[in-house]
Amino acid sequence: MILCVDPSEDDREATRAALDSTYEVRTAASLSDAQGVLSERPVECLVTEYDLSDGTGLELVRAVRNDAPDAACILFTDTTLDEIDTAAFGDVVAEYLPKDDPDAHDELASLVEHALLFRDQTAYPLPDDEDARVAALERYATDPESLGDSLDRLTELATALFDLDAAAIGLIDAHEQRFLSCFGISFGPVEREETVCTYALLDEGVTVIEDTSEDPRFEDNEGLQAADIRFYASAPITTPEGHTIGTFCVYGDDPRTVSERERELLSLLADEAMEQLVLRRRLRDSGGERDE
Amino acid sequence: MSDDYRFTDLPLDDIRPGTSVLVSGPTHDGSRSLGMQMLAGEYDEGAIIVTTNQRASRMAEDCQRFGIDVRDDRTAILDCVGDDDDPDVPARVLPVSGPADLTGIGMRFSDVYREFKTTDIDRVRTGLCSVSTLLSFGDLRTVSRFVHTLVGRIDKVDGLGVFVVDPTGHDERAINTLAQFCSGQIEVRDRDGSAELRTRGLSDQPREWTPFDAFP
Repeated sequence: MILCVDPSEDDREATRAALDSTYEVRTAASLSDAQGVLSERPVECLVTEYDLSDGTGLELVRAVRNDAPDAACILFTDTTLDEIDTAAFGDVVAEYLPKDDPDAHDELASLVEHALLFRDQTAYPLPDDEDARVAALERYATDPESLGDSLDRLTELATALFDLDAAAIGLIDAHEQRFLSCFGISFGPVEREETVCTYALLDEGVTVIEDTSEDPRFEDNEGLQAADIRFYASAPITTPEGHTIGTFCVYGDDPRTVSERERELLSLLADEAMEQLVLRRRLRDSGGERDE
Repeated sequence: MSDDYRFTDLPLDDIRPGTSVLVSGPTHDGSRSLGMQMLAGEYDEGAIIVTTNQRASRMAEDCQRFGIDVRDDRTAILDCVGDDDDPDVPARVLPVSGPADLTGIGMRFSDVYREFKTTDIDRVRTGLCSVSTLLSFGDLRTVSRFVHTLVGRIDKVDGLGVFVVDPTGHDERAINTLAQFCSGQIEVRDRDGSAELRTRGLSDQPREWTPFDAFP
């Protein structure tokens, strides 16, 4: 969903009209109206005027970064840069496009299209095969309920193998990591920029973070601190076509190292989890699954 | 005719428009020199340079020293340092409140790029000197988002991006994360008083250590 915010109704409608009609576009006239829309639905792109009657566009960008951190944010405005105080908002990051440019609406349309296609305001790197990966994920993760206890058995085995208290199997979609199985720990969906697995996706093979508190990517991560995670290791869950859709993770509350043999074992567990997903998919495709 | 960006005095092959590279190495080994030399383009090109730790006047002098033809209609310096009362800087100097104001840097970049475009300057080299300062003033997640956004913007406008980073004092994993946003990385080191570079992730570029002139 694209959210266009502008106190001027004419400008708001002109902005909406400039965007490709295939997008779902919502509009709002003020900061508080916009915040109401944000609380209902995740936003993928924000196009906002700077001067809103009850606040500024940068305040709104900050709100969007809280609710939907990956969203592309664009200030589309009559206010010049010299009049905008960005110092207090130095960490939010947004695009800037003045409305008075003769090609402003064309430029806006192209900026929005590029931002949605390449998702280049995320705070984490994307794998080269991101689009194919997410498409593959949708094919394998349509019916997680059908997996029953099979993955739970694997995560339980993993904790015993590694002599740790917690293990999980998570799939990483465009914006979130969702867990198919957790043992000894419990996670709801987690924003991608908050998870270690987001970075593991770009690694070849097994990823080991011996001490998360010593890694600049995770030292301030509140989710890890809350779950008391200091040690992390994961193996990629990769489709037969070669796209990594998730990870098989083990966690510990103390720093730890991993042996070569343990790396192999973790990979075997990840391959077994993938096999389960492949088999369920085949079952679905052949129509062999019945309601119990 | 190829639209690639050319590097006349460096052992680098042409680079495709839309590419951003991370130039990493200790400043005194020549990383900054290499980054600046890579910004020296042809007469019809523009340059946008973000300075995080040197006054705009000093940066303009350095630009000239490293072969950039500084002209106020096509050279912009985004100045995160301030305190420069020299009115005679030959470049267009645009203020940013400081190196922690990544929003300000990004928006100034978009704005000046757009202005260049209205005067038919389509080919623009952008330099960020340096990412190390940004890491010292901001957290890795914010710097990552900023670098990703700027790399995306440079790709969209078919520019060339040169992000200089001195890894000294920064964790290798932070540098590697930033490198992942760029198309490739150029490492710089000093061997027996001579600067050398090697590349990763860029096609048709030297993969083995290759000497270059850090003091042209």
